[in-house]
Amino acid sequence: MANVDLKGVVKRYGNVEVIHGIDLSVRENEFIVLVGPSGCGKSTVLRMVAGLEAISGGEISIGDRVVNQVSPKDRNVAMVFQNYALYPHMTVRENMGFSLKMRRKSREEMDSRVQEAARVLELEPYLERKPSELSGGQRQRVAMGRAMVRKPDVFLFDEPLSNLDAQLRTQMRMELRKMHMRLKTTTIYVTHDQIEAMTLADRIVILKDGHIQQVGSPIEVFEKPNNVFVARFIGNPPMNILEGVFGVEDGKRFVTVGPSRFPVPDGKGDSLVDGAPMLVGLRPDAIKMGENIERLPKDWWCKGEVVVSEILGGHSLLEIVVDGQNELIAEVEGRVVAHPGEIVPIGFEFDRMVLFDPETTNALS
Amino acid sequence: MKKTLAKICFVLVAAFMLAAPQGAQAKKLSGDLEIFSWWAGDEGPALQALIDIYKQKHPDVNVINATVTGGSGVNARAVLKTRMLGGEPPDSFQVHAGQELIGTWVEADRMEDLTFLFKEQGWMDVFPEGLIKLIGTDKGIWSVPVNVHRSNVLWYVPANLKKWGVDVPKNWEEFIKIAPKLKKEGVVPLALAQNWTANHLWESVALASLGPDNWDALWNGTLRFDSEEGVKAWELFGKVLEYTNPDASSLSWQQATDMVIDGRAAFNVMGDWAAGYMATTKKMEPGKDFGWAASPGTNGEFLFLADSFGLPKGAPHRDNAIAWLKVLGSKEGSDTFNPLKGSISARTDSDLSKYNAYLQSASADFGKDRVVGSLAHGVAANETFMSGFASVMEMFLKTNNAKAAAMACQQLADKAGLGK
Amino acid sequence: MREASLDRLKAFLTLLPSIVLVGVFVYGFIGNTVWISLTDWGGSGSLAVDPQKNYVGLANYAELFTGFLAGGFRQDLVNAVFYSVMLLAGAIGLGMFIAILLDRKPKGEDVLRTIFLYPMSLSFIVSGTIWRWLLAPQGGVNILPTYVGLDPLTFEWTSSTKAVLEFNWQNLFQIMLYVAAFILILVGLWAFRNDPRKALKRWLGPGIVIGAFAWLGGSILPQALFMEETHGFNLATLGIIMATVWQYAGYTMALYLAGFNGISQDLRDAAMLDGASEVAYYRHVAIPMLKPITISAVIILSHISLKMFDIIFAMTGPDNAQTGHPALNMYLTTFRANDFARGAAIAIVLFLVAAMFIVPYLVSQYRQRKRG
Ligand SMILES: Nc1ncnc2c1ncn2[C@@H]1O[C@H](COP(=O)(O)OP(=O)(O)O)[C@@H](O)[C@H]1O
Ligand SMILES: [Mg+2]
Repeated sequence: MANVDLKGVVKRYGNVEVIHGIDLSVRENEFIVLVGPSGCGKSTVLRMVAGLEAISGGEISIGDRVVNQVSPKDRNVAMVFQNYALYPHMTVRENMGFSLKMRRKSREEMDSRVQEAARVLELEPYLERKPSELSGGQRQRVAMGRAMVRKPDVFLFDEPLSNLDAQLRTQMRMELRKMHMRLKTTTIYVTHDQIEAMTLADRIVILKDGHIQQVGSPIEVFEKPNNVFVARFIGNPPMNILEGVFGVEDGKRFVTVGPSRFPVPDGKGDSLVDGAPMLVGLRPDAIKMGENIERLPKDWWCKGEVVVSEILGGHSLLEIVVDGQNELIAEVEGRVVAHPGEIVPIGFEFDRMVLFDPETTNALS
Repeated sequence: MKKTLAKICFVLVAAFMLAAPQGAQAKKLSGDLEIFSWWAGDEGPALQALIDIYKQKHPDVNVINATVTGGSGVNARAVLKTRMLGGEPPDSFQVHAGQELIGTWVEADRMEDLTFLFKEQGWMDVFPEGLIKLIGTDKGIWSVPVNVHRSNVLWYVPANLKKWGVDVPKNWEEFIKIAPKLKKEGVVPLALAQNWTANHLWESVALASLGPDNWDALWNGTLRFDSEEGVKAWELFGKVLEYTNPDASSLSWQQATDMVIDGRAAFNVMGDWAAGYMATTKKMEPGKDFGWAASPGTNGEFLFLADSFGLPKGAPHRDNAIAWLKVLGSKEGSDTFNPLKGSISARTDSDLSKYNAYLQSASADFGKDRVVGSLAHGVAANETFMSGFASVMEMFLKTNNAKAAAMACQQLADKAGLGK
Repeated sequence: MREASLDRLKAFLTLLPSIVLVGVFVYGFIGNTVWISLTDWGGSGSLAVDPQKNYVGLANYAELFTGFLAGGFRQDLVNAVFYSVMLLAGAIGLGMFIAILLDRKPKGEDVLRTIFLYPMSLSFIVSGTIWRWLLAPQGGVNILPTYVGLDPLTFEWTSSTKAVLEFNWQNLFQIMLYVAAFILILVGLWAFRNDPRKALKRWLGPGIVIGAFAWLGGSILPQALFMEETHGFNLATLGIIMATVWQYAGYTMALYLAGFNGISQDLRDAAMLDGASEVAYYRHVAIPMLKPITISAVIILSHISLKMFDIIFAMTGPDNAQTGHPALNMYLTTFRANDFARGAAIAIVLFLVAAMFIVPYLVSQYRQRKRG
């Protein structure tokens, strides 16, 4: 187990720079999730850590050893690929044992380690099968088993669950979590699925176009996004962003959105001056309805017209128009039965409001 | 419209034919004539000269010159066989005179007897009697010989022999006596080339060892190969082989001849096409730049082979083919073809002034020598024997076991039905 | 139900013309050849309009394998084995090696690929002629060393009369047992590491028993021939093997290169991370993965080697026992010696040898399809 440090890491393909100097410290035993839209460079970062891709600038160290010039097989990292990359001509047993065979481990050790991994991953009945004779989930587990038997310093995952159906994905996510709790191996996990990021990560790294947007715990990036990109990328449905103007009247700070005026709690947007334009971010679950609004101050209430409502089992999603122009998505507890066109009272948890600079789209402190 | 035109033409032609002076040509020939041969390379011009004569005589015949290339006709014969089996014979085809023709085609009753043509053209008198015997059977004469080659010729360069201080050996004992001396000089005593030239050498050696009577007896089945004489022939051949070059099987016969020309070898036994090669290709003067003699121990014997053309039964244009055979056997045709091909005429009355020094001497020998048939070139034995003989030769080259080779030959002779 | 049978009928009708054509022109003619090989069609009169053909059973085959005059055929058969083995080893080995080099994407890879593939587009007659010149005793390859100041080689590439690995045809059965034992033991040793028990029972045990039997009981085995007759690996075939390998290595290279390109980068990465060196990657991952390609290359090349004809004809001529091949022998026996029945028998022997290669393949394919 080891920490991983990236210092000013740059990657260029020919003249095209795709990673623009990344700094990241992964602590020992930490589960880091790299998340970002497709093409933002997540795989590239991962492959550079693995040594499969040469780095064009900066420095990568694993366990305080600079590995820029170390070949992949000597970095003691294991990787799980999106398409599993199992050796099709080998049985499950041979697949899992291959790395040990390459490292000239004894037969006994190989057998016991493969057996152990197979037991944990419930693959024992399939050890003599070829990958083509396994289901998607089983292949996925073989790929994990192959990484596990090596007892590597670092696990690298590149979208390992994206080829599974939703149900399996949820299940595997849990197993991954459990596996990490047991093994505590330092892990860098790449995904474009923010739910995976939220559920798995100790810390999330949000990447966009080869730049790190934010590094933080799931709650941090959820509640205190650094910018609009992070705010809208993390969380599903995404954060509502409204355009507004800041104002101060009678020492009371407020924001005007259309005809409505909402209070701005203290500690947010302290640097703003009267009349400054800004963006207001509100999580869908910061919008309350029904009796839940009772707990909120009265001036955090308003009225909205329901456009669409969807009941999703335990909670409901509603699209609501406020003041006839601002569309909001609300995620509320319970089964809310509302008809389109119905005018309903709603409340905002303004203490969870996030303010952004409309020009830089960065969050305002 | 077309029909009327054809009719008019017909009437015109008929009128013209009636009006034309009779007698110059008994019958006007037209249509196709397909000649099948393997003369495409050096021999092409000689064949073309014959075709030219034919076209002069029969301008309305469309001559199709079908050639299939490949040394001494291996491929051509295979193609011919598939055509004959398929019921599609050419009008006339080239074939080695003798058993190669008789064993394969006459026995299969595929050929027409040409005795009538020989009689009509007076060829019974101009072709040597011995030759007619070899190209015929008691049932008839089966082909018209166009040329005669001699197989048992020893070639050398006189100046080189002088330099090494050796004489032309009259028999193989003499050769074996002088050979070690040549070897000491770093000269290969006898140049040999690839496989078939070993067969070619064998027949000269065997003829010398057996003598012409026994040679003939061998082929008509009255002398066994595994008899004492037969084994002796192989033993002598084995001794002679010791003085040949070890890389023989990768050389063409021309390269073996080159060894003699370049002074890397003293002698070479090869058919008289070697004279054509040296005189024409190498621009050497016969008698001065290169010399020849009957191969050792065969003086007064003429081991002959001949190319000939026959008339297959069911030839689609029989009349045209007969006219072609007439050209081949004529003095004009013969004396046009042979100087170009580097062979002599089979006719005893040929115009010797048209031939070079070597051919004149060969022609003289042909007239007075005892004529015997070549094995390596299809006169003496049928194809079954010849083909098997090639394997026996390979076996002998490898094992040098005279007795086994002689026994194998006898088995082969039984199988091929020699003399039956 | 009715619709299904209609579909079947339609399918059958569509296939019918090709079934009939293949039936007549392939299987019909094979059958006819078998029949001819059981007759005595040959010798004088064999080209008559209605030649005599008498049934003689397996006499032609017996003659080929034990007859006094058929020694040439037996050497040809031995040659064919060596041609096959050497062509397979040479073309696959060299082709694979070049493919591995090119798989690493050196500069000018596409040009090199074309250059290596080019020889295959030549006809055997052309390449045979080129190589005959190159391998001439006093030229070509043999004088190469003189360019760097060494003595010229004197090896007779196509005309050497030397042979190695000679054996006596009389001991054919014994030798075949030895070969079988050798292969069994080899497979056994290889399997031993994975599963010693099975290896011992299936391979090593029988191998040792057969080997011991051949060694101790060799004298009670019947002799295949009444006299001593040695055959072996004729060194003169080396030149022809070289030329053939030269011609077909590019082909196997193309097969393997296509295969290598088809292996996903991820798999290669996975192997790298698993600790495989470049060599280990090819040995344990890439080449085993391309087993289907190797199998088809083996089948295609072994068929080519069984049909070798024109290149031998061009390089050493028709009557060269040193470099002979049954296919050439068949041609000469049939069309020169007029021994049609014997020629047919040689053809059938070749056909059976070819079947030895293809049938196991078809069976395994069929099994796989049934399983999959
Ligand atoms: N081998 C390559 N050559 C050139 N560009 C590449 C190569 N690999 C990836 N890229 C580019 O780098 C960027 C990041 O790719 P990648 O890391 O695969 O993104 P993702 O975040 O989807 O995993 C993309 O714009 C892609 O086009
Ligand atoms: Mg990716």
